[in-house]
Amino acid sequence: MRGLIAGITAGVLLVSCDTRGRFEGVAVDPPRAMAPVAFTLPDSTAYTLGGTPDGATVVFFGYTHCPDVCPTTLADWKRVKAQLGRTAERVRFVFVTVDPERDTPAVALRYARQFDSTFVGLSGDAPTTARTLELFGVAAAREAGTPASGYLVSHSSQQFLLDERGALVALYPFGTRWEALAADLERLL
Amino acid sequence: MTHHRLQLVAREAMRVALAAVLPVCAGCAGSDAASGEAASGDTLRTGRLVSAAWARPADSGATSGAYLTIVNADSAATELVAVTSTAATAAEVHESMQHDGMAHMMARAAVPIAPRDSLVMQPGGVHVMLLQLTRTLAVGDTVPLTLRFAAGDSLVVRVPVRAP
Repeated sequence: MRGLIAGITAGVLLVSCDTRGRFEGVAVDPPRAMAPVAFTLPDSTAYTLGGTPDGATVVFFGYTHCPDVCPTTLADWKRVKAQLGRTAERVRFVFVTVDPERDTPAVALRYARQFDSTFVGLSGDAPTTARTLELFGVAAAREAGTPASGYLVSHSSQQFLLDERGALVALYPFGTRWEALAADLERLL
Repeated sequence: MTHHRLQLVAREAMRVALAAVLPVCAGCAGSDAASGEAASGDTLRTGRLVSAAWARPADSGATSGAYLTIVNADSAATELVAVTSTAATAAEVHESMQHDGMAHMMARAAVPIAPRDSLVMQPGGVHVMLLQLTRTLAVGDTVPLTLRFAAGDSLVVRVPVRAP
């Protein structure tokens, strides 16, 4: 692992299994307050990553050159959205790139919208990206690639569920069935 | 983890393979010319066969991933040593792995396939990375892939693009 582009957060998320069974994902109990983060969309409008009034936010960190894990996750979101029906209108599905050097805001947004026109793709400047990764406890590290791939990025692969206040309430490690996220969103909303 | 299937499954996979993609024999040599024979019936005894193939949609210039099941019907082991495509500047076989909550990818220079066994590529595991696409891959398109094996034999498959 070379060229660390973002360090693992100094703080360690205190994650516990929720014995009340409120979440099928890994519950964060008590919920962890998260500061909102301001991004700028390609059309120069502001976008705040945080709470969704009367709704929920699902967040995943990845990069658009990722051929496998990232598209698998965003394809799962399509299934979650379909499962939720009208309730999905209260859910923001947000992809945040860990590779802002290659993924411009336009590239990140287009990537997310390829899966669903309502999905959001965000790319921040370097300080914004670093702050966001630290806030979520996400690690990302460049790894050597080939002349064609340039470099690969290893990155934390879980999804994050934020409640309407923007507090982190549950995590979904890669490999978690999409039905778990759908069930938790239905319960939360 | 290489996601190999057992021999029993391989036999069934051979049967269903023909409906999934059309294998075309390209530069076949020796006994592996049987990959052409495979298209003519279900009595495949040697060669390779590809089934359950699909590729992800992506923009021109971007990256896509493709997944195949490769059946090695030979009584000898083989290795998938290279993949090329006219739709991509480069193609590489990678394997995704999860360690401590992080997704990593590792290039696989050669992926062994045991005799009468199959290599099953799937999301989160072994996949073909299509780099710097030379054209947009839209749902309904097909992507030509040339698979090269250790003995020098190769197989061309046309992989459908679909949204998973």
